[in-house]
Parts: sequence; structure tokens; C-alpha cells
Amino acid sequence: MAKYYDIDDILVEEEFVPVLFHKTANGVTIDPSAETNCAEQGAKVEVPFWLAHELHMRQAVSINLPACFDQKTRLEVQADAAYVDLRSRCSYFYEFGCKLEPLVTDRTLGILLSTAFKIRYKEALTKVYTAAHITASKYLSFLTKEETNLYEAAHLSMTAFRKWRAGGPRLERALILGRKRKDSN
Amino acid sequence: MYGRKGYQLVKDFASGEKGQLKPFNSKLFDETIEECDQNHHLIQSLIRKMQQEGLDVQNNRNADHYGALIHHLSLIRNKRCLMAYVYNRAEIVRDLAWRVGLELLDLPSDIQGKLTTLEKDYFKNHSVALKSYMGKVGIELNVDMVPPKDPYIKVRILDDIDEGIVLSDKTTNFARHSMHFLKRTDAEPYIARGQMKELTD
Repeated sequence: MAKYYDIDDILVEEEFVPVLFHKTANGVTIDPSAETNCAEQGAKVEVPFWLAHELHMRQAVSINLPACFDQKTRLEVQADAAYVDLRSRCSYFYEFGCKLEPLVTDRTLGILLSTAFKIRYKEALTKVYTAAHITASKYLSFLTKEETNLYEAAHLSMTAFRKWRAGGPRLERALILGRKRKDSN
Repeated sequence: MYGRKGYQLVKDFASGEKGQLKPFNSKLFDETIEECDQNHHLIQSLIRKMQQEGLDVQNNRNADHYGALIHHLSLIRNKRCLMAYVYNRAEIVRDLAWRVGLELLDLPSDIQGKLTTLEKDYFKNHSVALKSYMGKVGIELNVDMVPPKDPYIKVRILDDIDEGIVLSDKTTNFARHSMHFLKRTDAEPYIARGQMKELTD
């Protein structure tokens, strides 16, 4: 409940998961292959996580592992986690994985997440402190939303540190107003 | 249906720069509410159907029950999206009052255009509350956000500030690109709005 208003949390829960219906539900059009307006018992459907979670708690469905945690991804993560394009698979790879972990039967999901994160976090941190911001742009497109936030936080603290050391104006235009317009002089 | 519109609304908010305002998306907002209405109608019709069949609506777990449940959950989900949208915007509106200025007219016109009437009221009321609190404790809380080193600073004017502004100690002609030596507390709001720039040696 603490995250009720959290924008990221809402977006995480919109990720789709494949579920298997144990009960029939009338009057809904979530099963594209159904002929009538209902989800039959035994139907395999993809629904958003928030719906799957609630239905799972009422024993109406069972949740299967979504494609972003499939065998192929696991093999790639084992090979070199730092350069796997996780964003295209799921932009909230870790948060989504953590929410899913207690609901699925697969017990290896947690290990997958923590190994992937450890390796990738180290790589991202090294990149921030060594590579120039522009050359890192290709690498940035691989990062998930959570990793991008960490990367930006590290980048900001680096710039703040450099600015502090160099001195200079400390009062600035409020960030909230958006980027500065081009000076018209 | 099934929370799609609410998701699009939240997505619209998230696509903006972090902590900055986008125009209020009243089209998507209304569509989300409409989707809630549709969900509501379908729940009612499913429950009516159960009642006509003479079933106990509270305890029966038949197919109609699960259908109604899915609609109910979708409605709750859309509600959460709507609440989060308004709540997060309100946070930015409060931030504007703290960082830019307590008068609505002090805000740049493009920012003003992004607020709805209700948000403008909220801004005004928040400012009034802040001002009365600051009056009571006798401290201006929204200045000196950066710890001061010197009470006076050198600034350059970036924008034409037309009205003859009377600062606490003197009246000055603020032509564009002119340089002034001002009290820090006087200059601070203008710097925050991007009309002046601090100069350092």
C-alpha cells in the first residue's frame, strides 16, 4: 500500500504474464481465442500482473513464467550479464522479477535476478566513472529502468562533485521549470 | 477495457522529464473515468444475473462471480491510476510554490498554461498556508535553499524585467545584460525563474 501512488510501481504491474484459468469467468473479453465473452476453465491467457496477482490470491488462476525470464535470457545472462539487452525484454526486469518470485513455482528466479544485478551493477558503476557520457549511450540502451536510475544517480553525484571542486555559481534556475531555453542574444 | 486507459494516463505522466509538468491530459483522464463506468455497468449486470438465478451473491463462486471480480479489479486499478496521476501532479505543484515563487503570476506563462483550474486553486491555497505559517514563525523558509556565503552577490540580467521592481533597499533599472550587485535574498527568486544569473569571479 505504501507504493499506491508510485508511478513506477504502477508501470511494473502492467507487465503481462501468462496465466492458466482454473475457474471460468463470464462476461469478460480477455481471452482473444474464446468464441464467447468469457474466459473458460483451462484457458491460457496473457493478462497484466495486477490482475494475475489478485486472481492468483483467490485461486482462480496459476501464473507461469513470462518470456523475459526464459531459458534464452538465462543463458545470455550466464554468458555475459553486463551486455545483455534487458530493457527490450522487460524495462522493469528486477522489480517485476521480485514481484513474480513468490507466485511462481520456479525457485531459480531469485538467483537469476541477483547474479544478473551484481554483474551489471559493477559494470554500470565502472562505466559512469570512466567512460565519457556520450560514448556510453549505446550501453545505456541495454539498461533497465532501475539500472538507468542508478546510473543517473551516479552520474549526477560525479558532476556535483566536480562542480563543487571547481567552484562557480551556486544559485541556479529551478530545475522544475525544465531545460533552459536557448539564449536569444 | 481492463485498466488500459489508466495505464496510458500514467504512461503519459511518466514520459515527461522527471519532476517536470506536462499539460493536464484531460482527454485520457475522461476516457479512464468512462472505462470505470463501463466496468461498473458490467459488474451490475453480472450481479443482477446472479440474483435472478436466485444465488447468494456474497458466497457463490460461479463463473459470473469471477467475471464480476475481474471487472471490479479493473475498476480499482483504473482508480489507482487516476489517483496517482493527480497526486504526482500535486507534488510538482507544491514544488513550484517552494522553488519558484508563491504568487501564481510569478510562474512563467508556459507553466501556468499546463495547470488546470483546480491545480491553480491548489497552488494558491498551498501558498496561502505557507505564507501564514512563515508569518507565524517569523522565518522565510523558501529562501537560502543553498547555504549563503555572502549576503550580497553579483548578477547579470538575462531577461527584460519590465516592471520597476523595488527591492528592499533601492529601485534599479534592470535592463537586459546589465550587471548588478544585489542582496542575495532579493536576487534568489529571479535566479530561480531564470531571469538573472549569478556571476562569480
